[in-house]
Amino acid sequence: MDFKSNWLMYLLAAGVIGFVVVESLFFLVKAWKRGKELGISKQTLVNTVTNSAIYSVAPAISILATVFVLANALGNVLPWIRLSVIGNLQYETVAATSILSELGGSLTEEVTDPAKFAAVAWGMTIGCCLPLILVPIFCKKIHKKVGDVVNKSSSASALADVVAAAAFIGIIAAFVSKSINGIEVTKTLTGENVVSSRAGFLSIATLIVSIVVYLLLDTLATKKHLVKFSNFVMPIAMFTGMGAAVLMTQLLPQSLVLWSWPWLPPVQ
Amino acid sequence: MKKDVPYFDKVHRWGRIWTLLALVALFSVPLVFSLAHDAWPEPGPFLKGLVAILPLYWVSGIIETFTYTPMIGAGGTYLSFVTGNIANLKLPCAIAALEKADVKGTSDEGEVISTIAIASSAITTTVIIAAGVLLFSIPVQWLTKSPVFAPAFQQIFPAMFGALMASYLRKHWKTAAATVLIGCIVVFFSPSIGIGILIVVTIVAAVLTSFLFYKISTKKSAAK
Repeated sequence: MDFKSNWLMYLLAAGVIGFVVVESLFFLVKAWKRGKELGISKQTLVNTVTNSAIYSVAPAISILATVFVLANALGNVLPWIRLSVIGNLQYETVAATSILSELGGSLTEEVTDPAKFAAVAWGMTIGCCLPLILVPIFCKKIHKKVGDVVNKSSSASALADVVAAAAFIGIIAAFVSKSINGIEVTKTLTGENVVSSRAGFLSIATLIVSIVVYLLLDTLATKKHLVKFSNFVMPIAMFTGMGAAVLMTQLLPQSLVLWSWPWLPPVQ
Repeated sequence: MKKDVPYFDKVHRWGRIWTLLALVALFSVPLVFSLAHDAWPEPGPFLKGLVAILPLYWVSGIIETFTYTPMIGAGGTYLSFVTGNIANLKLPCAIAALEKADVKGTSDEGEVISTIAIASSAITTTVIIAAGVLLFSIPVQWLTKSPVFAPAFQQIFPAMFGALMASYLRKHWKTAAATVLIGCIVVFFSPSIGIGILIVVTIVAAVLTSFLFYKISTKKSAAK
């Protein structure tokens, strides 16, 4: 049997994936109990679980699709493990390409030599492990510092709230800006950097649909006191945005759908 | 008598143990494979390849650790650094949950809500990827590559972050608009800028902008 997807690889995958699920369940249960101690309502806790699960479905399918990009060369199992723990497609592709090119191979062809496969697996693992060393060392110190600032005085606490909200806005704004006038550059399986997508009519229109749907539904939920419905406004707005992208691609002229800023390089 | 350990200390103790175990689980994959097949990387070319990728991995690892850790609770931090996909999935989930529950990320309640959101997201993602790899590899590849449905997956970030941005536009529209504008200017001059670097730039821009607006509003209310 192919060494990339034999019983040993599936056993390793089961161990790693099982570990992730058990760790997640552990923190979920502990946080749930703490939430009850703090007097957070059961409904709020249940809504947090359901919304987060719904919210994660589409991105999870996208991540799943990237497993198959690496599968031609590495089989299904190693990319599955790597993209379930820490990894993301960009890093894994770069790591595999870089190591295979030094060993005289590429991701466009199936890896048939166990030593090359082992080199890729080691490279991906060593590459991604640093945060797992840094977080246990610095996490408590960073959170203690943040706590000290927040608890210093009421004005410091107010300012900390403003800064915390601003930091979240910063993250969101980065993705929004990229959707308005950015390009995505990805490494091909042969190791070349190419423009894989660019912002334009479709990304901006999807962004606007998603914003408008959220604002409309949120206003409706607030005015009509639709508490249960209000919990689903965000995922609904996201899926409507995605649906709108499908409809616009099907119904609008291709010249409009494919329109992009003239200064951006073409998709290769 | 047993000492009552504060919840935050407990979370950090659990987090450290789980993270160390995650490191063991992570390294067990190449180690067990190499031992079972007696297949080890050729040191020279392997180290050459590794040297080429480590700056990319480790610089972004350092940036991610110090950027995201203050923003999500302790439990959420330990969990999201093990499960990955932080900026594009775990953080948005936590932000959305905090917003919906109307609690601050730095509060005790925020710690609980962000941990539950990240754990739920991690379980959902892991289960979907596992089911997809084991059972649905053909339909998933068809769905994400089909000319009809592919645009939905290509536009997942505008759809997801548009909805998130809308929730912040209500309360902080000035900061949100100014930060997006700054982000767009940066992207105009460097369209291919990596999202990791851009996030650092826009976070700094958002914090400075909100600080400025905060000072203006406190000055105005003091003058009244």
